[in-house]
Amino acid sequence: MNFSWMFGSSMEARHLLYAYVAVWAIQGGYAGWVLYQWLRAGRQSRTVSHTDNH
Amino acid sequence: MQRSRIFGPVGAVWFLLTLAAIVYATRLGLLLAPTEATMGNVARILYYHVPHSMLSLVFPYINFAASLFYLYWRRRDPLKALTADAVAIAGAEVTVVYGSICLLTGMLWGRVAWGIWWTWDARLTSMLLLWLLYVSYMMLRKLSATGQTHTLAAVLSVFAAIDVPIVYMSIRWWRTQHPAPVFGGGDESGLDASMWPAFAWNIVAWALWGVLLLGMRYALERRRQEREQEAALQAIEASLEMAQ
Repeated sequence: MNFSWMFGSSMEARHLLYAYVAVWAIQGGYAGWVLYQWLRAGRQSRTVSHTDNH
Repeated sequence: MQRSRIFGPVGAVWFLLTLAAIVYATRLGLLLAPTEATMGNVARILYYHVPHSMLSLVFPYINFAASLFYLYWRRRDPLKALTADAVAIAGAEVTVVYGSICLLTGMLWGRVAWGIWWTWDARLTSMLLLWLLYVSYMMLRKLSATGQTHTLAAVLSVFAAIDVPIVYMSIRWWRTQHPAPVFGGGDESGLDASMWPAFAWNIVAWALWGVLLLGMRYALERRRQEREQEAALQAIEASLEMAQ
């Protein structure tokens, strides 16, 4: 299977590659941000509870 | 009690199945689907652009329905209203993610197919307006400091949802630079049978991913709400102790 066309220098090849990479970057970036915020919110919550116990 | 994971076993299985479906769908679209006769390989953007565009017109209705429930419950049952509010913000954010991808991949495709990045035709403009409305919704929730923020956001969401059918119908109502509808556009519309597997798999895979994102974002919002409630309770307890 020849898929060297995907990495060519023509505008057609570049834009196709940019589109696919951008989709993975945006979707993965958003999922990563949600996960990071989830972990951060959990840490803050534990800190509040910990402080409260003392 | 805090849940320690963002999703349970069902969510983990869902995540793995979704990831496998996305990889398979991408392989179909990028490598196995036939090259489009007129535009060549750049038309493979279709397999990401169209599913994301279609889904960016579905997720606003989750935000819309949740906002209506929020408005209904906010005085009758505040706990249910908080749940609806968490669903609403999740729906809005996922709409912005899918809408951003729709606009970006459309521009990359348009530059090759039409020779321009952007044109102010009815489809593109109404889609940009939809994206801006949901960005405004998120900005309002983030930056407004009034006690009515959630209610104002819910009302904005109702107005934003009105744009969805306009985006959908724009290529039917007006003559646009954007192509005529692929589905339901008359006798000459539709995809070639050889393109269907890649297209259908991408729709399913990105829909599954969208639902996963909704679930994750909902869980995050619920955790934030719990944290705010804990902080409020502690503030009340502290003020009572000071008063004694």
